[in-house]
Amino acid sequence: MSTLLLNTLTGKTSAGSIVVTGEGGSTTTNMQQGLAKMWVNYTGISTTAARDSFNVSSLTDLATGQTTININNDMGNDDYSGYFYTNAGSGTTFGAFDNTYTGGFGSFATGTCTNNAHGTSSGTNVDAYQNLCGIFGDLA
Amino acid sequence: MVAHGTIAFDTLTTSDQVKSGTEKSLDTSYIFNGVLKAWLNLDGSGTIGISDSFNTASVTDNGTGSYAKTLSNAMSNSLYATGGGHSANSSFDANSRVLPSTTTSIVMYTQAGGAMADADVVTALVSGDLA
Repeated sequence: MSTLLLNTLTGKTSAGSIVVTGEGGSTTTNMQQGLAKMWVNYTGISTTAARDSFNVSSLTDLATGQTTININNDMGNDDYSGYFYTNAGSGTTFGAFDNTYTGGFGSFATGTCTNNAHGTSSGTNVDAYQNLCGIFGDLA
Repeated sequence: MVAHGTIAFDTLTTSDQVKSGTEKSLDTSYIFNGVLKAWLNLDGSGTIGISDSFNTASVTDNGTGSYAKTLSNAMSNSLYATGGGHSANSSFDANSRVLPSTTTSIVMYTQAGGAMADADVVTALVSGDLA
Protein backbone atom coordinates (compact mmCIF):
# COMPACT_ATOMS: atom_id res chain seq x y z
CA MET A 1 0.00 0.00 0.00
CA SER A 2 1.38 3.41 -0.96
CA THR A 3 0.80 6.64 0.93
CA LEU A 4 0.76 10.11 -0.57
CA LEU A 5 1.50 12.87 1.94
CA LEU A 6 0.22 16.27 0.92
CA ASN A 7 -2.07 19.15 1.86
CA THR A 8 -3.49 20.14 -1.51
CA LEU A 9 -4.83 18.24 -4.47
CA THR A 10 -5.03 20.19 -7.73
CA GLY A 11 -6.10 18.92 -11.13
CA LYS A 12 -3.44 18.86 -13.83
CA THR A 13 -5.52 19.72 -16.90
CA SER A 14 -8.11 21.72 -14.97
CA ALA A 15 -7.18 22.85 -11.48
CA GLY A 16 -10.69 22.34 -10.13
CA SER A 17 -11.27 18.91 -11.63
CA ILE A 18 -9.67 15.64 -10.55
CA VAL A 19 -11.03 12.57 -12.30
CA VAL A 20 -11.89 9.50 -10.24
CA THR A 21 -12.61 6.24 -12.03
CA GLY A 22 -15.96 4.79 -11.02
CA GLU A 23 -16.54 1.49 -9.27
CA GLY A 24 -17.21 -0.26 -12.57
CA GLY A 25 -13.73 0.57 -13.76
CA SER A 26 -14.71 2.58 -16.82
CA THR A 27 -16.96 5.54 -16.06
CA THR A 28 -15.24 8.49 -14.47
CA THR A 29 -16.52 11.15 -12.12
CA ASN A 30 -15.30 14.53 -10.90
CA MET A 31 -13.98 14.28 -7.35
CA GLN A 32 -14.48 17.95 -6.48
CA GLN A 33 -18.11 17.87 -7.59
CA GLY A 34 -18.79 14.94 -5.31
CA LEU A 35 -17.33 16.40 -2.13
CA ALA A 36 -19.44 18.00 0.59
CA LYS A 37 -18.47 21.66 0.79
CA MET A 38 -20.09 22.20 4.17
CA TRP A 39 -21.71 20.03 6.81
CA VAL A 40 -22.94 20.67 10.31
CA ASN A 41 -24.67 18.89 13.17
CA TYR A 42 -26.30 21.46 15.47
CA THR A 43 -28.80 21.94 18.24
CA GLY A 44 -31.40 24.68 18.14
CA ILE A 45 -32.44 24.31 21.76
CA SER A 46 -31.54 27.18 24.10
CA THR A 47 -28.29 28.43 22.58
CA THR A 48 -28.03 27.39 18.94
CA ALA A 49 -24.68 25.66 18.63
CA ALA A 50 -22.77 23.31 16.35
CA ARG A 51 -21.80 19.93 17.78
CA ASP A 52 -19.41 19.37 14.90
CA SER A 53 -19.01 20.96 11.51
CA PHE A 54 -16.89 21.57 8.45
CA ASN A 55 -16.49 24.93 6.66
CA VAL A 56 -18.88 26.69 9.07
CA SER A 57 -17.83 30.00 10.62
CA SER A 58 -20.88 30.44 12.89
CA LEU A 59 -24.58 29.81 13.33
CA THR A 60 -27.16 32.59 13.67
CA ASP A 61 -30.40 32.02 15.60
CA LEU A 62 -32.83 33.99 13.41
CA ALA A 63 -36.05 33.08 15.18
CA THR A 64 -37.76 30.04 16.63
CA GLY A 65 -36.71 27.08 14.49
CA GLN A 66 -34.89 29.25 11.98
CA THR A 67 -31.12 29.07 11.74
CA THR A 68 -28.65 30.64 9.37
CA ILE A 69 -25.47 28.68 8.73
CA ASN A 70 -22.63 31.06 7.95
CA ILE A 71 -20.28 29.39 5.47
CA ASN A 72 -16.58 30.03 6.00
CA ASN A 73 -15.33 29.64 2.43
CA ASP A 74 -18.16 30.81 0.19
CA MET A 75 -19.88 28.89 -2.56
CA GLY A 76 -19.51 30.06 -6.15
CA ASN A 77 -23.24 30.64 -6.61
CA ASP A 78 -26.53 30.20 -4.74
CA ASP A 79 -27.73 27.25 -6.85
CA TYR A 80 -26.02 24.52 -4.88
CA SER A 81 -27.66 21.31 -3.72
CA GLY A 82 -27.86 19.77 -0.29
CA TYR A 83 -29.85 18.16 2.48
CA PHE A 84 -31.45 19.34 5.68
CA TYR A 85 -32.85 16.94 8.23
CA THR A 86 -34.35 17.83 11.58
CA ASN A 87 -36.15 15.87 14.26
CA ALA A 88 -38.56 18.85 14.33
CA GLY A 89 -38.96 18.54 18.07
CA SER A 90 -37.39 19.68 21.30
CA GLY A 91 -37.10 16.18 22.75
CA THR A 92 -33.56 14.99 23.31
CA THR A 93 -34.04 11.24 23.02
CA PHE A 94 -33.67 9.23 19.87
CA GLY A 95 -37.42 8.59 19.92
CA ALA A 96 -38.25 12.29 19.91
CA PHE A 97 -38.88 12.67 16.22
CA ASP A 98 -41.90 14.78 15.34
CA ASN A 99 -41.62 14.26 11.64
CA THR A 100 -45.11 15.23 10.57
CA TYR A 101 -43.82 18.37 8.95
CA THR A 102 -40.03 17.89 9.02
CA GLY A 103 -38.10 20.90 7.81
CA GLY A 104 -36.97 22.74 4.77
CA PHE A 105 -34.46 25.12 3.31
CA GLY A 106 -35.31 28.77 3.84
CA SER A 107 -32.84 30.40 1.52
CA PHE A 108 -29.62 29.80 -0.36
CA ALA A 109 -26.83 32.36 -0.67
CA THR A 110 -23.15 32.05 -1.45
CA GLY A 111 -22.13 32.72 2.14
CA THR A 112 -25.16 31.47 4.05
CA CYS A 113 -27.77 28.75 4.08
CA THR A 114 -30.93 29.16 6.14
CA ASN A 115 -32.98 26.26 7.49
CA ASN A 116 -36.45 26.02 8.99
CA ALA A 117 -37.31 23.30 11.52
CA HIS A 118 -41.06 22.89 11.22
CA GLY A 119 -43.24 22.40 14.25
CA THR A 120 -45.89 19.78 14.83
CA SER A 121 -48.68 22.01 13.58
CA SER A 122 -48.95 23.85 10.31
CA GLY A 123 -47.38 27.27 10.14
CA THR A 124 -45.14 26.99 13.18
CA ASN A 125 -41.45 26.41 13.68
CA VAL A 126 -39.75 24.75 16.61
CA ASP A 127 -36.28 24.92 18.12
CA ALA A 128 -35.18 21.37 17.38
CA TYR A 129 -32.61 19.17 19.08
CA GLN A 130 -31.22 17.40 16.05
CA ASN A 131 -30.42 19.32 12.86
CA LEU A 132 -28.20 17.93 10.11
CA CYS A 133 -27.28 19.91 7.02
CA GLY A 134 -24.81 19.50 4.17
CA ILE A 135 -24.31 21.24 0.85
CA PHE A 136 -22.76 20.22 -2.48
CA GLY A 137 -21.84 22.39 -5.42
CA ASP A 138 -19.15 24.78 -6.57
CA LEU A 139 -16.85 26.59 -4.18
CA ALA A 140 -16.00 30.17 -5.10
CA MET B 1 3.70 5.78 -10.06
CA VAL B 2 3.16 8.82 -12.25
CA ALA B 3 2.08 8.51 -15.86
CA HIS B 4 -0.02 10.76 -18.01
CA GLY B 5 -1.44 12.73 -15.08
CA THR B 6 -2.45 9.66 -13.08
CA ILE B 7 -1.19 8.87 -9.60
CA ALA B 8 -2.05 5.49 -8.09
CA PHE B 9 -2.05 5.34 -4.32
CA ASP B 10 -4.10 3.90 -1.46
CA THR B 11 -3.68 6.36 1.38
CA LEU B 12 -3.91 10.13 1.45
CA THR B 13 -2.34 11.97 4.36
CA THR B 14 -3.03 15.62 5.11
CA SER B 15 -2.25 18.16 7.81
CA ASP B 16 -6.01 18.96 7.78
CA GLN B 17 -5.08 22.61 7.90
CA VAL B 18 -8.62 23.75 7.05
CA LYS B 19 -10.39 22.10 9.98
CA SER B 20 -8.39 20.59 12.82
CA GLY B 21 -4.72 21.23 12.05
CA THR B 22 -4.04 17.65 13.09
CA GLU B 23 -2.48 15.26 10.58
CA LYS B 24 -4.93 12.67 9.37
CA SER B 25 -4.88 9.85 6.83
CA LEU B 26 -7.64 8.56 4.65
CA ASP B 27 -7.81 5.36 2.66
CA THR B 28 -8.60 6.38 -0.90
CA SER B 29 -11.45 3.85 -0.88
CA TYR B 30 -13.37 6.52 1.02
CA ILE B 31 -12.81 8.97 -1.81
CA PHE B 32 -13.61 6.35 -4.42
CA ASN B 33 -16.82 5.27 -2.74
CA GLY B 34 -17.72 8.36 -0.78
CA VAL B 35 -17.96 11.15 -3.30
CA LEU B 36 -21.43 12.00 -4.51
CA LYS B 37 -22.14 10.70 -8.00
CA ALA B 38 -24.82 13.31 -8.76
CA TRP B 39 -26.49 16.37 -7.27
CA LEU B 40 -29.23 18.74 -8.37
CA ASN B 41 -30.76 22.09 -7.52
CA LEU B 42 -34.11 22.25 -9.33
CA ASP B 43 -36.52 25.14 -9.77
CA GLY B 44 -39.62 23.07 -9.11
CA SER B 45 -42.44 25.57 -9.61
CA GLY B 46 -44.11 26.61 -12.85
CA THR B 47 -41.94 25.55 -15.76
CA ILE B 48 -39.27 23.55 -14.01
CA GLY B 49 -35.60 24.17 -14.71
CA ILE B 50 -32.17 23.03 -13.58
CA SER B 51 -30.51 25.79 -11.57
CA ASP B 52 -27.28 23.84 -11.20
CA SER B 53 -26.33 20.17 -11.19
CA PHE B 54 -23.72 17.46 -11.60
CA ASN B 55 -24.20 14.28 -13.66
CA THR B 56 -27.66 15.33 -14.84
CA ALA B 57 -28.91 14.65 -18.38
CA SER B 58 -32.42 16.02 -17.96
CA VAL B 59 -35.33 16.54 -15.57
CA THR B 60 -38.99 15.78 -16.13
CA ASP B 61 -42.10 17.33 -14.61
CA ASN B 62 -44.37 14.38 -13.86
CA GLY B 63 -47.19 16.45 -12.40
CA THR B 64 -47.76 18.53 -9.31
CA GLY B 65 -45.04 17.77 -6.79
CA SER B 66 -43.59 14.93 -8.87
CA TYR B 67 -40.30 15.09 -10.72
CA ALA B 68 -37.72 12.75 -12.26
CA LYS B 69 -34.07 13.22 -13.07
CA THR B 70 -32.09 11.25 -15.63
CA LEU B 71 -28.41 10.67 -14.92
CA SER B 72 -25.78 11.27 -17.59
CA ASN B 73 -23.60 8.43 -16.29
CA ALA B 74 -25.51 5.42 -14.99
CA MET B 75 -25.22 3.77 -11.61
CA SER B 76 -24.22 0.10 -11.50
CA ASN B 77 -27.53 -0.96 -9.98
CA SER B 78 -30.70 0.61 -8.59
CA LEU B 79 -29.77 0.00 -4.94
CA TYR B 80 -27.92 3.28 -4.42
CA ALA B 81 -28.71 5.87 -1.76
CA THR B 82 -30.43 9.20 -2.31
CA GLY B 83 -31.18 12.27 -0.24
CA GLY B 84 -32.21 15.85 -0.66
CA GLY B 85 -34.62 18.50 0.49
CA HIS B 86 -36.97 21.27 -0.48
CA SER B 87 -37.61 24.94 0.12
CA ALA B 88 -40.23 25.79 2.70
CA ASN B 89 -42.56 27.67 0.33
CA SER B 90 -45.14 29.84 2.11
CA SER B 91 -46.46 26.81 3.95
CA PHE B 92 -44.51 25.16 6.71
CA ASP B 93 -46.28 21.82 6.54
CA ALA B 94 -44.18 20.59 3.67
CA ASN B 95 -42.30 17.38 3.06
CA SER B 96 -40.19 15.77 0.33
CA ARG B 97 -38.80 12.44 -0.76
CA VAL B 98 -35.95 11.59 -3.13
CA LEU B 99 -35.82 7.94 -4.21
CA PRO B 100 -33.79 5.75 -6.58
CA SER B 101 -35.82 4.52 -9.53
CA THR B 102 -33.57 2.88 -12.11
CA THR B 103 -29.83 2.84 -12.79
CA THR B 104 -30.27 6.05 -14.79
CA SER B 105 -33.05 7.91 -12.99
CA ILE B 106 -34.28 9.11 -9.62
CA VAL B 107 -37.69 10.42 -8.63
CA MET B 108 -38.53 13.34 -6.34
CA TYR B 109 -41.81 14.11 -4.60
CA THR B 110 -42.82 17.23 -2.67
CA GLN B 111 -45.99 17.90 -0.71
CA ALA B 112 -47.53 20.60 1.43
CA GLY B 113 -50.61 20.44 3.62
CA GLY B 114 -50.99 16.73 3.02
CA ALA B 115 -51.23 17.05 -0.76
CA MET B 116 -48.74 16.97 -3.58
CA ALA B 117 -47.41 20.48 -4.21
CA ASP B 118 -44.63 22.04 -6.24
CA ALA B 119 -41.67 23.42 -4.26
CA ASP B 120 -39.71 26.47 -5.32
CA VAL B 121 -36.45 24.59 -4.84
CA VAL B 122 -35.95 20.82 -4.84
CA THR B 123 -32.53 19.36 -4.07
CA ALA B 124 -31.37 15.81 -4.75
CA LEU B 125 -28.19 13.85 -3.97
CA VAL B 126 -27.01 10.45 -5.23
CA SER B 127 -24.41 8.21 -3.55
CA GLY B 128 -23.38 4.73 -4.61
CA ASP B 129 -21.53 2.85 -7.32
CA LEU B 130 -21.16 4.11 -10.86
CA ALA B 131 -21.50 1.58 -13.65
